[in-house]
Amino acid sequence: MNLLKIKALRVYFPTDDGIVKAVDGVDLNIKREEILGLIGETGCGKTVLGMSIMRLIQSTTLTDGEIIYKDRDLLSLSDDEMRKIRGGEIAMVLQNPMTSLNPVIRVGEQIAETIRLHQGLDKKAARKRVIEMLRDVRIPDPEKSVDSYPHQLSGGMQERVMIAMALASDPELIIADEPTKGLDVTVKREIIRLMKEVTAKRSMLFITHDLGAAAEICDNIAVMYAGELLEHASVDSIFSEPLHPYSEGLLNSLPERGLKPIRGISPSLIDTPQGCRFHPRCDYAMEICREKHPEMVKLEDGRAVRCFLYA
Amino acid sequence: MHHLTKITAYILIIFVAISINFALPRMMPGDPITSLTDDPTTGMPVIMDEDIKEEIRSYYGLDKPISEQYTDYLKDILKCDLGWSIYYNAPVAEVIFERLKWTLLLVGTSTLIYMILGIFLGAVSAWKRGERGDLGLLVSVLSIGSFPSFFLAMLFIILFGVKLDIFPIFGATTPFMEYSSTFDAFKDVLYHLILPASTLVLTSIDGPYLLMRNSMLGVLGEDYIVTARAKGLTEWAILKDHAIKNALLPITTVIAIRMGFMISGAIFVETVFAYPGIGKLLYDAVSFSDYPLLQGAFLIITLIIIAANFIADMTYLYLDPRVKHG
Amino acid sequence: MRGALKSGNVFCKNRIGVTGLGILSVFILTAIFAPFLAPYDPCEMFEPMAPPDSQHVLGTNDIGQDIWSELIYASRISLFIAFTTSIIATFIGTLSGLFSGYYERFGFFVMRVVDLFLALPRLPLIIILAVFMPTSIWNLIIIFVLFGWPITTRIIRSEVLTLRTRPYIDSERMMGAGDLYILGRHILPNIFPLVVVQFVMEARHVILAEAGLSFLGLGDPTSKSWGMMLHYAFEYPTIFISEVWKWWMLPPGLCIVVVILALVFVGFALEEILNPRLRREIV
Ligand SMILES: Nc1ncnc2c1ncn2[C@@H]1O[C@H](COP(=O)(O)OP(=O)(O)O)[C@@H](O)[C@H]1O
Ligand code: SF4
Ligand SMILES: [Mg+2]
Repeated sequence: MNLLKIKALRVYFPTDDGIVKAVDGVDLNIKREEILGLIGETGCGKTVLGMSIMRLIQSTTLTDGEIIYKDRDLLSLSDDEMRKIRGGEIAMVLQNPMTSLNPVIRVGEQIAETIRLHQGLDKKAARKRVIEMLRDVRIPDPEKSVDSYPHQLSGGMQERVMIAMALASDPELIIADEPTKGLDVTVKREIIRLMKEVTAKRSMLFITHDLGAAAEICDNIAVMYAGELLEHASVDSIFSEPLHPYSEGLLNSLPERGLKPIRGISPSLIDTPQGCRFHPRCDYAMEICREKHPEMVKLEDGRAVRCFLYA
Repeated sequence: MHHLTKITAYILIIFVAISINFALPRMMPGDPITSLTDDPTTGMPVIMDEDIKEEIRSYYGLDKPISEQYTDYLKDILKCDLGWSIYYNAPVAEVIFERLKWTLLLVGTSTLIYMILGIFLGAVSAWKRGERGDLGLLVSVLSIGSFPSFFLAMLFIILFGVKLDIFPIFGATTPFMEYSSTFDAFKDVLYHLILPASTLVLTSIDGPYLLMRNSMLGVLGEDYIVTARAKGLTEWAILKDHAIKNALLPITTVIAIRMGFMISGAIFVETVFAYPGIGKLLYDAVSFSDYPLLQGAFLIITLIIIAANFIADMTYLYLDPRVKHG
Repeated sequence: MRGALKSGNVFCKNRIGVTGLGILSVFILTAIFAPFLAPYDPCEMFEPMAPPDSQHVLGTNDIGQDIWSELIYASRISLFIAFTTSIIATFIGTLSGLFSGYYERFGFFVMRVVDLFLALPRLPLIIILAVFMPTSIWNLIIIFVLFGWPITTRIIRSEVLTLRTRPYIDSERMMGAGDLYILGRHILPNIFPLVVVQFVMEARHVILAEAGLSFLGLGDPTSKSWGMMLHYAFEYPTIFISEVWKWWMLPPGLCIVVVILALVFVGFALEEILNPRLRREIV
């Protein structure tokens, strides 16, 4: 049963240098209680995709397509209707907690704000609830931490606050944007364990460029490159047998597989390469790859891949 | 520790201001009497008889060694003795303190209004960035801010005082008026305050407006605003709870420091409206060449500004949790 | 749709700058060609207090000088003082800012002086200095420069401090480039736009300060500026209740307003273009 269906989503930013096609024709479904990993190199459009589900992209953007959440197209809701869903049924853990928390408001108050808004609790009850939440995300000494300012907490604790904030309204879908970025290994592991725990009965879009983290937590993986998806498969199959040359390249760049980076650099999203967008960096590139743009094809085992090797 | 450095710095500044005040009349080329007796507007020597020259000479203690003059001067200031006003024939301190309340009333009221209004308009402008409302506000505020306060004051006198005849054009109260009640007195004072205060407000509003607009534009681009939006807060709640406080913090000091400098603006406005404050006093002192009075007024204005700056500097330390909790 | 609005926005801001520049040029040309544009010598005396007519477009003042000619010549004084001061103050501020940003010990010393200057109230000090110094244009300029340079120093210094940490500066130094070479070749070009903004801001400040001082009667009476014209107009007993304000008070006042506004426009446009933080789109 699909909770969220993204159809032919396009998000373009008109800029002085040209149109940035940050998301360029993405189709993606998230099932109930599914944890879907969205992986890809920095700058390929992951954050923009996540934010456009929440309609957090600035209004100067050109957006096209459909984002169907429980039979309603989020893109055609009124601002007020969208606001009720935002932070309520769908919550987001934004990337970079350090800058995503308001530096001059106590963290407890920042969490309480969401609780009061979506659950209508009064100040006192909300505070009690916040302390419970802080305990749930394992912040030590919650009675004291509730009155801390963000700069008084470590990076790992700030991330926990962000998670608590997202959980505050008991959402059905969480969009988590690089929640493990910049944390050291032990803290990272704890955060992943925490996220696994709190999403037991929810769906999550887990955005990351950390494949290890994705392998640990996700059910399925979508691979993104230059604004489009290249492969969509279960986590086991993609790690044991990546089909797309880009997925393979990503895996080969992992430390335990020899730390072999993909040659070349990710393309500009203003002038994406003709044909297959990955062809300048692909070791298997053929004549047709330079000329025609490959479509996403569904394979028999339910995997999907965008590459002429499988067409 | 931090406080201590600040306090030392401010004491030093006060000391410098006092020293400048001491040094200026003595530093003039040639005999100070000659430069003092030149009429400042025409540069022509004013005819003075020997008695008066002698009086001035002993007034400044010029017959004593310079170090002794300096310590005497400091002692006098500590005793609140700012000298003797030639024009009013009264102690300078007395003349000044008599006028001080009017300046504080005028500057206080205008400051309160222009800061709140400027900050509010700046926030609105940033929120509506690039839209017609923002551009309209921006151009209006920049335009009105380009008026020298004395020119706007003169225009107001002509328009509201003479042509429309709805406001009094000079003074702080109606002369020789007997008030039947405190409320009457209050009304009269308010009535006289409106034009000078409006002039000060309009010519100073560009400062806080631009500061707030810029600061707010920065804040609106911050990630935590996206967080606030992601929570489902209304635009108004975001503005109120997340944007305004953050935008205000870094500019409090600057705005508060401008507050101190408002008193400088009062010099012109008081002059044009013949408002009996310390700024008008300074102008009179200049035109009557009443140097002891001029120096006294200068000293008091300077001290007020420095005190305001000091308070501004200190409040910031208590406002920003990042500074407070280090 | 919103894209169009945004580019329209950029254009509009440029238009603000262009308007400002246009107005300034008119005034600068007027100042330069004053002797050709003014119908009379501004000191020549006619019948006093004559209302405007074909002989005297803006009438004459209380001692019979032609106000229109006075106004044209006054633009020379006002602009001359403003631009000379700005050039000198920006020059001193830029140099001291450059060196104090680059050499730490020197910088520490300079910044204490700057702090002191910025903490002292500018206008009252300028007034009292103007009272005690013999009045002349050059003395005015000295006073304005004295209080004009520190803010530029502070702004330039903090910019140099950030520039100095750029990696290419380090590699240049490692390759043996001299300090002066690095300052002139890499740092100066980077701070130049900022210097221009400072110059414009300072000019605006001086126009206002000079007008204020002259209005208080502390300007140089032998070379009348707009502020000085306003001073004499204000001192005239019936200025508010007769009609003379229309040709005696309004024109110099409006000249000040328009020049300041032009400078503000230019400065504002420059800042918007140069400051990437202000240009950043709001998500
Ligand atoms: N507001 C914006 N205006 C213009 N370009 C943008 C904007 N936001 C993101 N982009 C561009 O979109 C692309 C995708 O960005 P993002 O989604 O943040 O990448 P990531 O996959 O690292 O999260 C980047 O090239 C970025 O420069
Ligand atoms: S389509 Fe061609 S270029 Fe693109 S990934 Fe497949 S093989 Fe490589
Ligand atoms: Mg990202």
